[in-house]
This record gives sequence, C-alpha cells and structure tokens, in this order.
Amino acid sequence: MGDIHIAEERCKGCGLCIDACPRGLISFAEDLNEKGYTYVEFTGDLEQCTGCTLCATACPDQGIEVWNKRGKQTFENTTGLTERMSHYCPGCTHGIIHRITAECLQELGLLDRTVGVAPVGCSVLAYEYFNVDMFEAAHGRAPAVATGAKRARPECIVFTYQGDGDLCSIGGNEILHAANRGEKITVIFVNNAIYGMTGGQMAPTTLPGQRTSTSPDGRDIEATGHPINMAELLATLSTPAYIARGSSHDPQHVLKTKKMIKKAFEHQASGTCFSFVEVLSTCPTNWGLAPQESGDWVRDHMIPQYPLGVIKQPESVS
Amino acid sequence: MTKVLMKGNEALGEAAVRAGCRHFFGYPITPQTEIPEYLVKRLPQVGGVFVQAESEVASINMVMGAAGMGIRCMTSSSSPGISLMAEGVSYIAACELPCVIINMMRAGPGLGGILPAQSDYFQATRGHGHGDYQVIVLAPSSVQEAVDLMTLAFELAETYRNPVMVCADGMIGQMMEPVEFAGEPDALPPNEMGGDDWALGVREGRKRRIVNSLYLSPDELNEHNLKLKAKYDDIAAKETRHELYGPEGDAEGGGGYDLLLVAFGTMARICKTAIDDVRAEGLRAALFRPITLNPFPFADLRRAMDAIEGDGAVFDVEMSMGQMVYDVKLAAEGTRRIEFHGTAGGVVPSPDEVAQKIREILGAAPA
Ligand SMILES: Cc1ncc(C[n+]2csc(CCOP(=O)(O)OP(=O)(O)O)c2C)c(N)n1
Repeated sequence: MGDIHIAEERCKGCGLCIDACPRGLISFAEDLNEKGYTYVEFTGDLEQCTGCTLCATACPDQGIEVWNKRGKQTFENTTGLTERMSHYCPGCTHGIIHRITAECLQELGLLDRTVGVAPVGCSVLAYEYFNVDMFEAAHGRAPAVATGAKRARPECIVFTYQGDGDLCSIGGNEILHAANRGEKITVIFVNNAIYGMTGGQMAPTTLPGQRTSTSPDGRDIEATGHPINMAELLATLSTPAYIARGSSHDPQHVLKTKKMIKKAFEHQASGTCFSFVEVLSTCPTNWGLAPQESGDWVRDHMIPQYPLGVIKQPESVS
Repeated sequence: MTKVLMKGNEALGEAAVRAGCRHFFGYPITPQTEIPEYLVKRLPQVGGVFVQAESEVASINMVMGAAGMGIRCMTSSSSPGISLMAEGVSYIAACELPCVIINMMRAGPGLGGILPAQSDYFQATRGHGHGDYQVIVLAPSSVQEAVDLMTLAFELAETYRNPVMVCADGMIGQMMEPVEFAGEPDALPPNEMGGDDWALGVREGRKRRIVNSLYLSPDELNEHNLKLKAKYDDIAAKETRHELYGPEGDAEGGGGYDLLLVAFGTMARICKTAIDDVRAEGLRAALFRPITLNPFPFADLRRAMDAIEGDGAVFDVEMSMGQMVYDVKLAAEGTRRIEFHGTAGGVVPSPDEVAQKIREILGAAPA
C-alpha cells in the first residue's frame, strides 16, 4: 500500500491525474474547492496504490505528493519552484514543464547558481514560479538576454523558457544566433502550436489546417507556409549542440522529457555546448479541447509533425 | 600625462576600458565601427568579453543580460541601430539597470547617409522607446571631452541605475585629435558595478531576485512610474552640465553679449570659431553649450538668456532641421526672439556660414 496526498486547494480539476492512474484510484469530488474548481480525490482502495507517482507526474499544479509501500516519499514537490499557484489554465502543461525543469536543477544541485529568463507569452510570469534568480525579457529576446548574462557570469547556469511565438517567430533571429555562437545556455522551448497568451492566434508552429483565431478556416500552407520544426532547423548548424524534442502529453513522455532537460543542463554545467529541448505542450483553452483530449491531440497530430527524440548531440557524446 | 593622437571612436573604446568596462556587445555600423574594432583587440588584453551580436536588437538585450548580473557593460551604434534598440532601452530603464550606449549619430531619416548629424536629439531626449522613461544623454564636442564623458557616463549609470547615452555626431568618432586619459587604467574598478543588493547571479543563500518590468496591477505600475519620475527629477536637479563660451574672461568683449548662440557637439565647436571671428569685428556674441542634453540645463540657459543685453536674440544652430530648438524655446518661455539655422544630410555648417548668420541677426555689414 502506498499513500498519496492531494492538495485540494491546489487542484484546478484538469483531471490529468485521473487519466494517469493505472488503477483508476482517483476521481472528481462532488464539491468545488475554494477557487471554484471541481477538485480530485483519492477514492480507490489505498491497498491498490503502488506509489507509482504517475498521478503526480501528470499534475501541472504541484498538487500531489506520493509515498510508497515502505512509507518512503517517492514524489515530493520540488524546491526549484515557489509555492505560488500558477495562473495557467487547467490542464495546460506549462506547469508540468516548469516542474521537470525545476526538478532537474534541484537534482543537479544547481538551484543556487541558476538564472532563468522568462519570455513574453503565457509563461511571462515564470519568474514568479521558478525558485531562482530570474529575468523577464522582451518578446523573443530571451536568448540575447541569456547570452549577456552567461557571458557576464559564466559560473552561473543560465536558461531561457520560451513559447513558440516568442522563440520561433519574433525571436527567430536571437535563438538562431545564440545557437550558432554556441552560447553555453539551456533553452526550454514550449511548443503548443499556438499563441496562448494573446488568445489563440496562429504561430509559426501551427499545424496545416489547424484552426486558430487568425487562421479561422485552418492554416493555409500556401499563404502562411509550413510549420517550423525549430529543433531540426537548429540542428542543421555546424556548431556543436545538444538538441532534443520531448512531449508533455502523458506521464511517460514527461519522464522521458525530464531526462532530456537534465542532459541539457549537464551539458551546460560541464561547459560542453549550447543545449535546447523542445517540449510539445497543450493549450486546452485555445484549442477548444478538454485537457485529456488535448493530450491525445498532441499524440495524434503534433508528434507526426514534430518527431520526438534526441536530434543532435555534441560529437564527444554521439 | 602624455597626449596621444587618436581617432575619436578608438579613444572612446579606450576610455570605456579605463572606466572599468569589460563587456561590449555591438553590431557594425558606420560611423562607429572603429569602436568595436578597437575593443575586439583591447578587451581580451584585460580579460574582457567582446560579442558581435546578430543585430542591435540583440546587442541591447545582451547588455540587459550582463547589466542585470551586475557587470559593467556597454554597446555602441549609430542612428538606425539606435532605433532598433528602442525596445531594449525601454526595458533596461524600466528594470533600472545601469549601462552605457554610444550613439555616433549619422544623417537620417531612413538609411540616410553616413555623414555626421544631430538629428537624433528628439530620439535621445524624448520618446526613444515606449513608456515614461528617460535616458541621461551626454553630448561631447571634442575627442577629449568624449573620453572624459565616458567615465562620467558609467558613474552616472551606476549612481542612478539608468541607461546613459553618449550622443556624439559622427564627426567626433571620425576625427583624430590629441587626447589625454585621466588617471591610470582603471578610473573605476573593473567589471563589478556594486550590485550587491540588486544584481542576479550566484545566490549563496540570499533571497532570490527578479529583474522585471511587468506590473499587472495599475496601482503598482503607477507607483513604479512615480518612483522613476522622482529619480529623473533628482537627476535633473543634480546632473545638468553646460559650458558658457565668450563672455567671461574676454578682455575685448568686456563680458557682455548681444546675441546668445546655443549649440551642442561639433556644432558648438564651429560656433566658437564663428564667435571668435565676429568678436574680432566688435560683434558681441556668446555661446551656451549644453553638455547634458537630458537633463537639459533649462535654468542655466535661462540665466544666460536673461544676461543678453537689451532685447538681443538667441540663435540656435544644429545639424538637424531644428530639434533642440524646442528646448531652447521652452527655456526662453517667450522672453526672447529665437533664431534658428540648421543643416541636414551630413552637411556641416562652416564657421564662415555661422558668422555670416550672426552678422545678419545683429544687423552688421557682411564681412
Ligand atoms: C513586441 C511585442 N509584440 C507582441 C506582443 C504580444 N504578445 C504577447 S504574448 C504573444 C504570443 C505568445 O505566444 P507563445 O510564445 O507561443 O507563448 P504561449 O503564450 O503560447 O505560451 C504575443 C504576440 C508583445 N508582448 N510584445
């Protein structure tokens, strides 16, 4: 028998943990919590819980902690994030990507010398959540700010956290050249195929035919071009780099992506190379899909366009 | 101390190094390119960092990154590049980070030309980027003064945690003059800006810090603007600088003047020659030269205007179609007739041309 603790007050009722539990031990409560969300409860037989942590892995809101059969805590909220509730919509996986990034920094013992750079986009408030020194940069300019910061204090671990509009559209030049110079920074690139913050406009990463508020009839590739595969594009540069793409649509992929992010920070910590991890992410609100359906949409539509895996490694490793 | 003959741009680069600057981020553009070309060689000799950015948009954001880490840093560019930096300067001012920006002004608008101009006065002293913020603007009129103002620029930037622009016309960057560097290298301790209580970096247990310009609450943003405004008022009260040329210590002129010229940078230098010429003819003209374009020395200028004899006029001369002249009018508050002469496109008025205008205004016979 394991044990899990669900923080009712943190729950936004996205239900991703319900889907994640292999034994169906979590379900929605009858009541609303203080914020007005239908929160989740552990309703199964505690004897059946193995403490596998998939529920906590799927939670975007640091709402679940887990203990295994022997009473050992197998999932503990990371100290790499503040306790502040995020402003992200229910089921948005920005929260998950924040968490695994923070977990990597904590596990590598880097929190005390990490400086993050928040973008403009839904994650503009990332500086409220990452428990490290933070910049808030202008739209798309995070890689330039990170370049200045890292060149100024090479002993620091510097990372940017950017959306697809931020990195791929307005900040296309800054990311391209930071990568080409081989800046020893780490870039976490959150690709949700849309402009979330401004209310769901087409991004360079929007899929062909995908409806957004500025592609109401579906993205027309004749008029607007094809989606940009940023990871592959950066991998064409000769400069050594670690470039990978993961996804946040289910707990298994979250765990794989976390390994990539860890590798990325390791490359920075050892001064090896520029590192870049693209993470496919959801936008339930602007996609008009439920959180679970959003995950399925990533699996069925985004992954075929944006294949997962390590795309490039510095030569010494490959 | 020995004088060395140096090109203005290179002297500015050396002055930055002597002022303890070790980090430079920039993108090539005429007529300032000798600054990065000098620093790319010079900075490595002192353990510094030189990055050729992909654009001025990037270079100013690199400056933001380095400044946020408490490291003394700068960028330099010329007019079109400065336009591209507008967004970044607004963020840096909002975040109250110190940095120095050199604008070696060239003629505009658009791509314009590569020859000297003073047509970025509005841009430098008014709305460069968005929002209510101000940049301290210093305007040298010789290579020596440019060198001297570099140290002051870093000192002001760090005292007020604000961007400082050294705004020179391309002539200053391109000409060679003998210069003397005050003090041994380093006028300021290298690199560190004393950001102990605000800079980001290795934490060693201290509370985390945030460099940010986002304030979602209107009241908080209003507060932030009021705080910035109070700082700008403080700067205006303490940091105006100017030079008055002509009246004092001038045996022949007897101290008084019937016409007050106002000019800055290279234009001021040309006006001085013109004034020397007309004084030799018995015409009494003097020059007021703002050294700080922002804060503009309104009160000092007004005093100099009040000292003009009789109903004598003010004569503003610029290498632009008339930008500083608006501030001159503000200083006059309608008390004086304001004459203006300006050229654009890289055309630099000659001392003779200015002297001739002075004679016209004073109703004297052409020389
Ligand atoms: C210079 C500038 N242009 C436009 C905006 C408006 N804007 C804010 S966020 C955003 C799009 C963000 O989308 P993305 O980077 O994909 O991040 P998401 O919100 O989806 O996480 C835009 C266009 C801005 N803040 N600044």
